[in-house]
Parts: sequence; C-alpha cells; structure tokens
Amino acid sequence: MTSKRLTSLLHVVLVLALVIFGGFPIYWMATTALSLNSELYNTGQVPWPQLGNLPAMLTDLTQLPLMRWLVNTGIIAVGTTTLSLVLGALAGYALSRFRFHGKGALGFLMFMTQVVPEALILVPLYAMFITLGLLNSLLGLVLANVGFSLPVAAFIIKGAIDAVPYEIEESAAVDGCPRISVLTMIVLPIIAPSLAAAAVISFFAGWNEYLFAATFLRDRELWPASVGLASFIGQYETPLSAVMGAALIFSLPAVVFFLLIQRKIVAGITAGAVKG
Amino acid sequence: MPDIQLKDVTKRFGNSTIIPRFDASIKDGEFLVLLGPSGCGKSTLLRMIAGLTEITDGALAFDGQDVTDWSPSRRGVAFVFQSYALYPHMTVRENIAFPLLMDAFRTWHHIPLVSSIVRWKLMRRPDIASRTNQIAEQLELTPLMDRRPASLSGGQRQRVALARSLVRDPSLYLLDEPLSNLDAKLRTQMRSEISALHQRVRKTFIYVTHDQVEAMTMATNIIVMNDGEIQQIGTPDEIYARPANTFVARFVGAPPMNLLGVRRDGSRLALDGGAGWRHPGALPADERLILGLRPERLTLLPEGRPGIPAQVVLVERLGAEVILGCRAISADGKSSGDLLRQDLIFVRVAGNPHVAPGAKVSLGYDADAATWYSADTEQALPDPRPVSATAEA
Repeated sequence: MTSKRLTSLLHVVLVLALVIFGGFPIYWMATTALSLNSELYNTGQVPWPQLGNLPAMLTDLTQLPLMRWLVNTGIIAVGTTTLSLVLGALAGYALSRFRFHGKGALGFLMFMTQVVPEALILVPLYAMFITLGLLNSLLGLVLANVGFSLPVAAFIIKGAIDAVPYEIEESAAVDGCPRISVLTMIVLPIIAPSLAAAAVISFFAGWNEYLFAATFLRDRELWPASVGLASFIGQYETPLSAVMGAALIFSLPAVVFFLLIQRKIVAGITAGAVKG
Repeated sequence: MPDIQLKDVTKRFGNSTIIPRFDASIKDGEFLVLLGPSGCGKSTLLRMIAGLTEITDGALAFDGQDVTDWSPSRRGVAFVFQSYALYPHMTVRENIAFPLLMDAFRTWHHIPLVSSIVRWKLMRRPDIASRTNQIAEQLELTPLMDRRPASLSGGQRQRVALARSLVRDPSLYLLDEPLSNLDAKLRTQMRSEISALHQRVRKTFIYVTHDQVEAMTMATNIIVMNDGEIQQIGTPDEIYARPANTFVARFVGAPPMNLLGVRRDGSRLALDGGAGWRHPGALPADERLILGLRPERLTLLPEGRPGIPAQVVLVERLGAEVILGCRAISADGKSSGDLLRQDLIFVRVAGNPHVAPGAKVSLGYDADAATWYSADTEQALPDPRPVSATAEA
C-alpha cells in the first residue's frame, strides 16, 4: 500500500471516529426516545432504536404543550437574532467608520458584557424588569438575550466592515447613494458571510436560552422548550423517553437553520484568506 | 459645465497642512493632469473637488457657483478610483446601472427590502436598460454583463469603472491614478482608450498621476505639484521645454533634464570640479547658475570639439536609442563629481552608436537647448538670447 493511500485511509478513519464521537449523543437521544420507560428504569436500555415504540412516543409527546414551547423558543431566537443583527450592523458600522469621543471606552464596555457571567446580573436584571414591566414577557427575554449577543454581533460586523475598502462607499456616495443605503445596499451584502456568522451565534444564544427564561417567566404558557423540558425532571421520576423525544424535536429547527446558513459561514471564514 | 475655479483652497489635517493655498482655474473640456510625487497632495485636491474630502479654507466654484459645501452626488461628477471600487456583490450590469438607479430612486425607495424590489424593477426599465447596454457596448463590455468583478481581469475591471462613471453623462470626470494597478502593456492600451474617450465625450477630465509619461501623453494641460503647492501650470510641451524650476526639470522627463551647477567666466562656463567649456550663446548676468539641458538636446562629438568635455561611464541600450551616462572632465582629464548616478550627464542618442564606457567625448549643444536657473532660488531665469533668436527657436 502506498503512503498516499495509507494517509487517505487514516484520514477516513479519523473522520469516522470524529463523526461517531460527535453523533453518538444524538443517536443515544433517539434510542432513548424510542425506548419504554420501564426498560430505561428496570431492564436496561436497548442500544438500538426500537421503531415499534414510535407511536407510543408520539402519544406521549402530544400530551405535552411542545408546540407552544417551540413557538416561544422560536420567538426568542428569531427576536434575538433580528434585533442583534439590526442593532449590531448599525453599531458595527459606527465603530468601524466613525471617529467619536469615547469610542475605545465603548468598545471596552461592550467587551465587558462577555466577561460578566449571566448569573451575576440575574438579580439586578430581575429588579430592573419588575420596574419596566418586562417580567414574565417574551419581549423582556429577547431584550435580555440581545444584551449579551449584540456586542458579539457588533464586533463581528465591525471586523468585517473594517475589511471593506472605504473607496467602495465613497464611490456609492458619488453615485448618489445616501449613507443609510450605502450600509444596506452596499456594505451589508458584501459582509453577508459575517452577518451569517453573527446570526448563528445570536440564534443559538436565543434558542438555547434557559437561565433567564427559568427566572423571568412564571407562566407555563410562555416557557421556551428548554425550560419546559427541564420541568419534567422530577425528584422521583423523569419520563426519560418523552423528554428525549421532545429534545430531539427541539434540536431539529436549529439543525435546519444551521444547514441553511452554513455555506455562508464557511465563505465568511475563508473570505480574505486569499488575495483577490 | 463647468469652468472650475479653486480659490485659496487649503487642506489641513489637524496641525499638518497638506495643501497650503491652491489657486487654479480649469476650463471646460480640458484634460487636466495633476502631476507630482506621492504625498504631494494631488489626490487630496481631487477628492476635495469631488466632495469626498472637506475643504478646510477657500472656495470651489463650478461656473461661478460656489459648490464648496455640496455633497458629492450634488456636484454631478464621476470619480474613477485607483482601486476601481466596484461593488463586488453586483454583476457588471448592476455596477454600470447603479448611478442611474440612484438617480431614479425616491426617498422612500431607500427603505431596506423596498430598495431591493425597486432596484429589480428599475433594472428592467427600458431607458435604464438601453443606456446601460449602450455604455457597455462602447467599452466592449457586452459579453461580461452578467459576470461579477471578481471574475474580471484588471483591464476589464478598469473599463467597468469607466463605464459606471460614463453612464450618467456627467460633465466632470475625476480620475485618481486609474492605471497604476495595471501592467505596463495594459497601461499603454488604457491610456489610449482614456484619451480616445476624452476626445469622444469632450468633457472636462481631471486626472491624477505621478507617472509623467501618462501626463505628457494624455493631458491638454498639466499642473505639476510638490508639497501641496503648484510648481508649474502649462501644456505638456511648455512644461517639458521650459520647466519653471529645477523640481519640474528633474520630475518631468526620463532621464530627467541635466542640471549642471556652473560658474560664469565671461563666455565660458566652469563646473565646480574644474571642467570648463565655451557656451555657444548669450549667458544670463548671474555669476553662479544652473544650466538645464535635456538629454536629447545634447550631441555626442569627438573629443576636443566645442562642448562639454566628458567621459562615458554608462551605456544603456534601449533598442531604438541609447542612453549614455557621462561625467564631465577637466582639461587634465580628472572627472568632476562623484561616482553617483545623479552626477552623470545623460545623453539620448538615436540608433546604436558604438560607444564603450571609458570613451572620452565632447557633449555639444545649441544655445536654444539651454534653460537657465538661478543657483539661489532654483527658479527659471529669462532666456538671455536676443528676442529675434528666441522667436526663431
């Protein structure tokens, strides 16, 4: 066997190992979802999916307000993403293109939001939300999440705009394009890959939201899926197969979103790697 | 439009003054080249005319109308950037049509999403589509209309940039070193194309370059700049034949004008190193002078004939002509100056003279080939020849 073929074989083995390592939790989640609770707690889990248990799992799931929770999760994720991108684009553009007093301090403060743990500001934020009437509302939750994802989005966008030659904007200005349109029609399409990267980060920050939701939302109807699923973990019993089935459904939209946007992100990662 | 008037235009960035005071007038239909070394303020001046850089002091007027505070779009100019500044996410067609779309946009069309729909609709409007196609055809871009800038060569990108500037039919074209990113062959081709374009559209062009060949071949008028100040304004011929000072003399021409620091002794001239010769015409009154001689105005004569006694130290064969680097020598055969290239007297000789380094020669010239500069101010001195002789020359 030539060394080239051996290298190629080693690559395949390595990739397979990584795929198994990364994919096993999802496989186990699906297998658990298709097991009976009696098996899980008494006789032990069968290590392969038992498709015969699918109707029973679906019946269990229909008894949960899963759709409502998923919609709530979607509202939080989409709201966080939209607001982070819109405000992040404006903030990133200003940080990149304008010179103003306190620009360095502003950047530092935005960076600091990533250093402070969420749990640390939970109580002050709770008090603030009571005052603002944002407690127990999805809007409040979106705003709290945006507080954390906006600086990341703004810095990603600022970095991307820094790389856009200023002459392109000047050219648009000479062509009669007003500044806001320079941003929306020229700059943002050019940095689309970085916008996609910022969108993924903001979306998953919203989709995986748990701590703020568990603290700020009292109504069961307003819970996102993460909090809803966690509520099934009881002191004496946890309906593991139903929770895993719901978790599987919970992860599907996120996977679809990522698949849709991944090509843009890869382009974003490699953009600027070669002269052109 | 427009005669363009720059009145006491000044540009400062903080404490640093880029352009101290600039006064000039540009006539309609001119092809004006702003020529100068890098960092002399020529691009800044062009950007101020376009409205891309603020004018610190002074006024800019188009046809008497003060436009100092007007936005770039309101000035109705076209600007071609050194980097082309094409929109990379748009096709060639969209790039060319963009200025037309902006003209057709109303305020509310700039709302995001609305703008996309309006652009899509406007691209199909017959007048915009036909104007875009017409300009593309003029610049031979028709086969490339659906490609994006990344897939075009440098010359094609340059033509797209020109097409985008042409499409709105502006009356003033501002070009900032548009050929500097091209290779030598393409640069020559694009130079001719831009000149032809100027002939065809008959509009005012202001062209910034540090390349004196571009300036000499394209301009109807040249402003030579240094350190933000005008050194000379004139036609290419005037600037080449009678540089106003030693900076212009050194900057324009390749090889540049030979500038020899000489002492006058009656009708004889002597270099500091001792070499001396009899000048074939009248001399200015100053005792210390700088004599300017273009390399092609010098002729290679056998040793001992009237002229500057010299020794050939460098021979550069260029095919159709030869550039000789010579060093002046005194009567006892000692050379004047060091071995540095700037001490050499360059001679341009047509054909292929069989001269080898080390040969002793005499460099002859006519009186009308000489340009005189004051050794103190380095400014040109009046031609010392009688008026009748000047007229003949």
